[in-house]
Amino acid sequence: MPLAEGRKLSIYRIEDLPDSHLLKVLGIRKGTQFIIQSKQPFKGPIVVKVGNRSIAIDYDIAKKIEVEEVA
Amino acid sequence: MSCHVMEAQERPRDKKLKILLMGNPNVGKSVVFSKLTGLQVVSSNYAGTTVDYTLGNITFSNKEGVLIDVPGTYSLEATSEAERVAVALLEEGADLIICVLDATHLERNLDLALKLQEYPIPIVYSLNLLDVAERQGIKIDVEKLSEELGSPVIPTVAIKNKGLMELMRTAMKLSQEKKEPGPKLEDEERWKRIKEIVDKVQIQVDKELTFIEKLENWTIQPWPGIPIALLVLIASLGVVVGGGKALRAAILLPLVRQVIMPLLNKIVSLVIPAGILRNVLVGEFGIFVIGIEWPFALILPYVFLFYLVFSFLEDSGYLPRIGVLADGILRRIGIQGGNIIPIMLGYGCAVPAIIGTRAATTYKERIMVASLVSFAVPCASQSGAFFALLGDKSILALIFVYLLSILAMLTVGKIVNKVIPGKSQPMLLEVPNLLLPDKDALKKKLKIRMKHFLIDAEGPMLIGIVIAAIVAETGILNEISKLIAPFVEGWLGMPKETSLSLLLGIIRRELAVLPLLEMNLTTLQLITGAIVALFYLPCLSVFGVLVKEFSLKVALFIGLITTTSAFLLGGLFNQIGSIILGFVG
Repeated sequence: MPLAEGRKLSIYRIEDLPDSHLLKVLGIRKGTQFIIQSKQPFKGPIVVKVGNRSIAIDYDIAKKIEVEEVA
Repeated sequence: MSCHVMEAQERPRDKKLKILLMGNPNVGKSVVFSKLTGLQVVSSNYAGTTVDYTLGNITFSNKEGVLIDVPGTYSLEATSEAERVAVALLEEGADLIICVLDATHLERNLDLALKLQEYPIPIVYSLNLLDVAERQGIKIDVEKLSEELGSPVIPTVAIKNKGLMELMRTAMKLSQEKKEPGPKLEDEERWKRIKEIVDKVQIQVDKELTFIEKLENWTIQPWPGIPIALLVLIASLGVVVGGGKALRAAILLPLVRQVIMPLLNKIVSLVIPAGILRNVLVGEFGIFVIGIEWPFALILPYVFLFYLVFSFLEDSGYLPRIGVLADGILRRIGIQGGNIIPIMLGYGCAVPAIIGTRAATTYKERIMVASLVSFAVPCASQSGAFFALLGDKSILALIFVYLLSILAMLTVGKIVNKVIPGKSQPMLLEVPNLLLPDKDALKKKLKIRMKHFLIDAEGPMLIGIVIAAIVAETGILNEISKLIAPFVEGWLGMPKETSLSLLLGIIRRELAVLPLLEMNLTTLQLITGAIVALFYLPCLSVFGVLVKEFSLKVALFIGLITTTSAFLLGGLFNQIGSIILGFVG
């Protein structure tokens, strides 16, 4: 499912994502596991926590990132 | 051996050492910079780009060097302007690189750390923010890390001056050595290597969340993040408005009015006989009278406090959080949340705000933010003037003017978004840690900002005041006033002397407001005057920066739109207000 539809405080793993240099250097890569830290109103960015870094991802980009929930 | 190494060898002995200070964004690099360099720092622009970097001199055990604060980057792919500048500086060659690593985010920092090894320049790593890492339960084996990286790693807590002497000692020793460039690794290989290193040197133990970590989490949630953001903004406004007023009333005004002015008056009266010249100098609108009172007693305290508060928030890592919270709303008017930072800076001065739009965004976003700031954001100088004008008489009127400015911003944003083609850049950023700003770094930043203000703003202001003194004291003003009286008195309902405001407002925004102080205005006239001044022409410096950053056409267009709306809205407010007052009365 797209990251944009994820729930706050749930843990996900990235299955597929657009090819973007900045995403890669920020550590958002295939296989990365993260927790959704917050979602913002009015389709604002999704903030994910990878390790101990918080990364804000635009809603439209989050729609293109495929994730799977990790039990 | 590559030619880069040869160049490094051929550097003359007596030349100052060239040291590059590099690292990811938000790793405390500028704190390290301000601790290592003396008071003499210069900010300069890298040729052919819009990126600024800072230079400072350092001396250590009889050796002299120049430390270059390279813009913070995550990698060296030259995908952004900051990265291009970093690559260009590296290719020019240097005697040494000091690479600052954030101990709380070692894995991400190692990407740049390894990339730098591909250059034939010796590196010393400063493992910074170790105190924060410890609080978060992160333990790093410094010796092992140094072994893995093949270069010295010095543990530092820059903000507390810890480890900096050791860093300099190692740096100076290393700068005399040569280094072979390391092997180039493919992305996948490098990430694998990073994972290996982190597994070897870092242990993370679970710890209870510290207060700062809780705060970091709260400030990024809509609840309670948005209420916290509002509280922070209100508190900031309180410091600037309240503090500025107190400074003005307690120290600056008495000093200017009771000590400096009478003194100047006496001196001028002794030297210059009564007449036009003496009036131009010390008359009611005399150069010495308003030339000292306006800039120093009325404007300076607000500008100073604004930059103090803004720089504090900037260095604390809090501002990007407001950007994240505001993104959803700002995207409705076509700009990304991060642009709230240049807009907020616009409440200080529009010139750095417009230059600040260069940072990362698209042309469309740049032009949108520039028009919003020019159109409806009052700068600190003008706010100072508004507080002086309305603060004492009607707080409600003051709040009304500021609400109107926000409403105007949203409207203008909506319209410009429709008119200008193109897209805005989606938000993708790392939210930095919250931390208590460092005093030295803050002082340096404040110094540079105040210097810019004094040079860029006070020059035109003094010119404006000289013009004011001449036209007011020689009678020219009366002639101009008569000419535009029908418009000023009829449509705006203002006294005819307001023409002075309109004349001077072209030069500086606050000069459109300050002359109103000397007139006896009704509340309706005060608000009308404030509205006209708010939307009136951006000042000469802003006009200049608009031409420089965009084009003459854009600058003229923005000027025309703002002035038309100023007269339209001010006039409408006066006409409607008069009718309502007529009924009530």
